Amino acid sequence: MSVLARVFEETGLTTIAIALVREHAERVRPPRALWVPFYFGYTMGKPDDPDFQHQVLAAALATLDADAGPVLADYPEDAGPIGLPQASEVTASSNGDTVKPLGAADEITALRGYYERWQEQRGRTAVGVTGIPQRRFRGIIRFLEAYAERDDADMDERPADVSVPQFARYCADDLKAFCYEARMAQRPGDTEADIHTWFWGETAVGALIDSITQRLNATGDAKLQATAYGLSR
Amino acid sequence: MPRLSVLSEVQRQMLQFFPCREDEGTPWAPLSKPLADSTMAIVTTAGLHLRDDKPFNRDHPSGESTYRVIPSDSDPADIVQSHFSIGFDRTAIYRDINITFPMDRVRELAERGVIGAVAPNHYSFMGALRDCTVVAEQTGPEVAQRLKAEGVDLVLLTPT
Repeated sequence: MSVLARVFEETGLTTIAIALVREHAERVRPPRALWVPFYFGYTMGKPDDPDFQHQVLAAALATLDADAGPVLADYPEDAGPIGLPQASEVTASSNGDTVKPLGAADEITALRGYYERWQEQRGRTAVGVTGIPQRRFRGIIRFLEAYAERDDADMDERPADVSVPQFARYCADDLKAFCYEARMAQRPGDTEADIHTWFWGETAVGALIDSITQRLNATGDAKLQATAYGLSR
Repeated sequence: MPRLSVLSEVQRQMLQFFPCREDEGTPWAPLSKPLADSTMAIVTTAGLHLRDDKPFNRDHPSGESTYRVIPSDSDPADIVQSHFSIGFDRTAIYRDINITFPMDRVRELAERGVIGAVAPNHYSFMGALRDCTVVAEQTGPEVAQRLKAEGVDLVLLTPT
């Protein structure tokens, strides 16, 4: 990202980079950077807090005052850390050993009302990487259940230039976004950690994704293991 | 992120040894006009794109060094994320696109007269690339030329 700042500035554009990892910005030396102490995924500090985000922007714009660079300004450290260290730090715990009241497909159906409430309240959704409408997510579940068993599983909706493992990743991302948004509508007071713990620890959809990870990891194939890594955290 | 010295050992190792391009010197192009007259664009490495655009694809021959155009008047509801990394908590962007792509905030800066105008287009790349060669030599310069042709003076770069 700081690499782009250098490329742009070389063509005469003025750039300001927000840097999440201070030590990387020190190495790449972009012309102007504001380091923020927030965790990955929280670049502007706090979601749904325009005033806070404007404070971060104002600090970024203040780097324009310097006459020479590189400028690496620090956002006050007492503002952070904000956000989960890493989603992956919430483990799947006992999921997979416990009997779920519903299978993954029925779970999707049961969550649909909450998901639609979220969409209605927010006017947007992060679901949509596969392009498959959520009303047809039972089809995604069928594909992932087959893919948890064997390599030759496939789905008609997969574009020709997208491999099956990459498409499985898109499917998992859409399912995760669907379940998370449904949960946030259902239990607005839950913390991020509560939601991760619920998804990976209690849901059949989480257990299904985790079972694909385990199968791909067991293949010993480095590319499949990279996909597995991306699925389950 | 907090400074590496306060992170867990696993995170510190991962970030400390992440490959970064290291160059001598730093290019420097200060604004040639007041900020209040300047046109601003956002370029993000959050792997965002329009809903009907192609998701970022790990299989891409470039190592996924391509980019997507996001018109600045897009509805946030039309933007989705296909970032490969799982090392970040997505609940923040599920809640608010501005957490990594402050499109509404930049528009407000223009409305308040802090900046002159918002550029017609913002741009998006995949982040956390271990090899930035194609971005540095091809797609990055290409986007720079597009930004200049679109009258951009100032670029805000946001990771996720």
